[in-house]
Amino acid sequence: MPPGGYFGRALVVDAADGTSQTLEIGEPVLRAYLGGAGLGTWLLHRLGPPGADPLGPDAVLAFTFSPLVGTPLTTSAKFAVVAKSPLTGMLTDALASSQFAISGKLTGHDAIAIRGRAPRLSTLIIDGPATRIADATHLAGRTAAETDAAVREELGRGWRVAAIGPAGERGPSGEPGVRYATISHDGRHAGRGGLGTVMGAKNLKAVAVRASARVATADPAGVLRAARDLRERSFGPATEKYRELGTLANLLTFNAISTLPTRNFQASSFEGAPDLAEQPAEPEAEAGSEPGEIAGMRKVARSGCASCTIGCEHIYRVGRGKKARVEYENVFALGPMCGVSDPGAVLAASARCDDLGIDTISAGGTIAWAMECAQRGLIDAPWLRFGDAGALLRVLDEIGDRATELGILLGNGSRAAAETVGSGSGSFAPHVKGLEMPGYEPRTLHSMALGLAVNARGADHNRSGAYEADLSGDLDRFDGGDRHVAAAIETEDRAAVMDSMILCKFLRGVFTDPFAEWASLVSDVTGWDMTGDELRETAGNIVMAKRAYNDREGWRPADDWLPDRLLNEPVTLPSGRVAALTAERLRAMIGAYYKARGLNTEGRPDPAIYKRLLLD
Amino acid sequence: MPSFAGVVLAGGRSSRMGTPKAALEWHGSTLLRRTTGILGRVTGGRVVVVRAAGQPLPELPGSVTVVDDPREGRGPVQGIAAGLAALRGEADIAFITSTDMPFLHPAFVRRVLRTLEEDEATDVALPFARGYRQPLAAAYRVTLAEAAERLVKEDRLKPAFLFEQCAVAQLDDDALLSDPVLDALDPDLDSVVNVNTPEDYDAARTRRAPRISVQLFGTVAKSAAKAGGLDGPGSPFAVRAATVGEAAGAIGLVFDRHVTAALNGDQITRDPEVPLAAGDTLFFLSADAGG
Ligand code: SF4
Repeated sequence: MPPGGYFGRALVVDAADGTSQTLEIGEPVLRAYLGGAGLGTWLLHRLGPPGADPLGPDAVLAFTFSPLVGTPLTTSAKFAVVAKSPLTGMLTDALASSQFAISGKLTGHDAIAIRGRAPRLSTLIIDGPATRIADATHLAGRTAAETDAAVREELGRGWRVAAIGPAGERGPSGEPGVRYATISHDGRHAGRGGLGTVMGAKNLKAVAVRASARVATADPAGVLRAARDLRERSFGPATEKYRELGTLANLLTFNAISTLPTRNFQASSFEGAPDLAEQPAEPEAEAGSEPGEIAGMRKVARSGCASCTIGCEHIYRVGRGKKARVEYENVFALGPMCGVSDPGAVLAASARCDDLGIDTISAGGTIAWAMECAQRGLIDAPWLRFGDAGALLRVLDEIGDRATELGILLGNGSRAAAETVGSGSGSFAPHVKGLEMPGYEPRTLHSMALGLAVNARGADHNRSGAYEADLSGDLDRFDGGDRHVAAAIETEDRAAVMDSMILCKFLRGVFTDPFAEWASLVSDVTGWDMTGDELRETAGNIVMAKRAYNDREGWRPADDWLPDRLLNEPVTLPSGRVAALTAERLRAMIGAYYKARGLNTEGRPDPAIYKRLLLD
Repeated sequence: MPSFAGVVLAGGRSSRMGTPKAALEWHGSTLLRRTTGILGRVTGGRVVVVRAAGQPLPELPGSVTVVDDPREGRGPVQGIAAGLAALRGEADIAFITSTDMPFLHPAFVRRVLRTLEEDEATDVALPFARGYRQPLAAAYRVTLAEAAERLVKEDRLKPAFLFEQCAVAQLDDDALLSDPVLDALDPDLDSVVNVNTPEDYDAARTRRAPRISVQLFGTVAKSAAKAGGLDGPGSPFAVRAATVGEAAGAIGLVFDRHVTAALNGDQITRDPEVPLAAGDTLFFLSADAGG
């Protein structure tokens, strides 16, 4: 009998013909990796051939669930998608939420791993243990949302669908899609690292799942009690920001404290931020609206993922009859990062990314880099200017169409594009390990600078939340040192657990003794007698397993680093302070991080770790 | 670029005041806390407090270095010597002040420091403000430590003896106010007003707190807006407050663990005693800002 909340097996599907096998997963592995991002990492080690081309048929794309999925615990309806990233060549894991998580798990599997490549654009259909592929060529060019609806229409009731947009599909001569394509379900995206490109490279337009199994928890009464308690807490002040404002509230805050990357990191605050926070717009949205950043642009609705009592999604009107979910990250990437202050254009660009099925952060970062190249005369596109809303929309279309040289170049992400363009443009390409930077300025957030540099998935704010320490007022955000290193490790560990057991990170503030409280939740579900200490160790192991995977796939010490610009060009704050992050300081923090993590001075894990992590 | 530090001489008998000046209450904080905070803003946090051995001090931020002056009570040059000696190898230029100037403005400190920054041949930037020389609101090169120590040994304890031995640039009112920022924020040079007697102190306390601008962000703005009166996120409004805590109080904001403050968009703090000066902009943020 597998532990509560688990099936103890993964489904391994060959996309070439839709056949599948079952892979038993023993209890030690489940206990060591939990599920979600952790279990996906183990599967990648186990099933992905070393050195495989992320867009080749051997590559593995894993959808992983978790023991908490399907329980009444708030925010637990999430799944992770894990693969070798076509942007970074290293591990990427992204989370998305809602009913696909529950139905996918209730196919009777803790994970669905896909290998191979379908002969033509197809839908992978997983009905409990039965798997098949169906022709999807008629869905080519459709958005993920349209595909979701069409597949459900074709299959009938009870199906849940994860799909890619047109940008993830292979081109007419079989060339891979935009390298930062997403996988979407119900309007939510497994966004970062090009997971949609991996899926598209397998010629899979959609994966459809239907529940057919049941799974019991070890202590249903205990789970219910915990669920009630968490639900109560989820209405408190720790989640108020997400409930009441959504993440967009960060825009003005970050602008005020010079942590808003602007014009490809040429500045850390944006004069257009107030415009962006204030949507123009539709008269009916204004009536009875609240003051300030949400005035005028007050959302027309608020919604949330399945099984969530927070409901952080704030839906805004984008134009006649069109609505969009608005998050800080997409507004940052397509707004300040590209110098664009026209809110209508930014929301339209964001909606365009959703329709294409591409990651807004990578799109915005790559375009911002291109705008700077154009400004410096390094690429021949004089029209591509910072702040030009029309140019932003035009270049997004070119990326989506993949018909022009520029569109193809930028579809590869900023690192690859800078390698093509050369002329020193790599020094201002805004990425770590090939993944574009999120909206947190490292020069004014030194804990976060470290978190971004060492993260396995590349520049990312979800696997390292070290900015929390910088913004807490508990340490000097301009003076990175040992305390910043400890903070970066702590938030990385917390994220590793939340992404694996799985609970939404927006719930994190309600826990006062997180590891112990999480261990108790996991124990209620699984029947294990897990302690906070064990879970803390598990967290560190998951972080190490990701690093070990990257090491296996060719990671080099130079990959744990930040773009040169951030180390060589200080930013001046309105207070007069000149905020700098020098290479020397970053190196010192990285060294301390390696030491604390038990890595060698180069940052590589001890080979003995493979045995401990059950990877041998 | 030379590096700056601040030195606060907290000793002295405060005989005319009758009670230690360092601990005097100031808008929910203390005079010494205020002075260290004002200097820290200009020097990137590097501040040394010189006290008499064992002298009790009010609570100070962890970043402040406290040094004991074994021979305290022998006059300003002794304090200057102790402060500069503590900064050897740590900074190039020090702004040295006493703890009894409640209206010292960061712009004044910056103005005085700039004189030494711009002119390498000068050792001391000495304000001559409001009719007096101000050796305890002046900037000194740290390399003067030795000369000062020698004077102490020779028992020549007046600052004038030190000034005889080095290059001094005297800054009169006009020279000081040629700095447009200082001219705008402290036109009467109240920076050098000191309090020596209970009457001085009472008079200083009856002055209105500096006028600053407050802006609210995130859920802090939301709750303030709900409570009524205040405009929404980012819109500035003026209050009078000498500390962060006082500013929060002035707008009815509970400065608890859910709230942080960023002074002029710079350092983020939870400390209600952080001092404010005229012209400051104070942001109140939700403590959980970020994604
Ligand atoms: S807080 Fe938001 S992202 Fe998290 S589960 Fe709820 S609705 Fe989804």
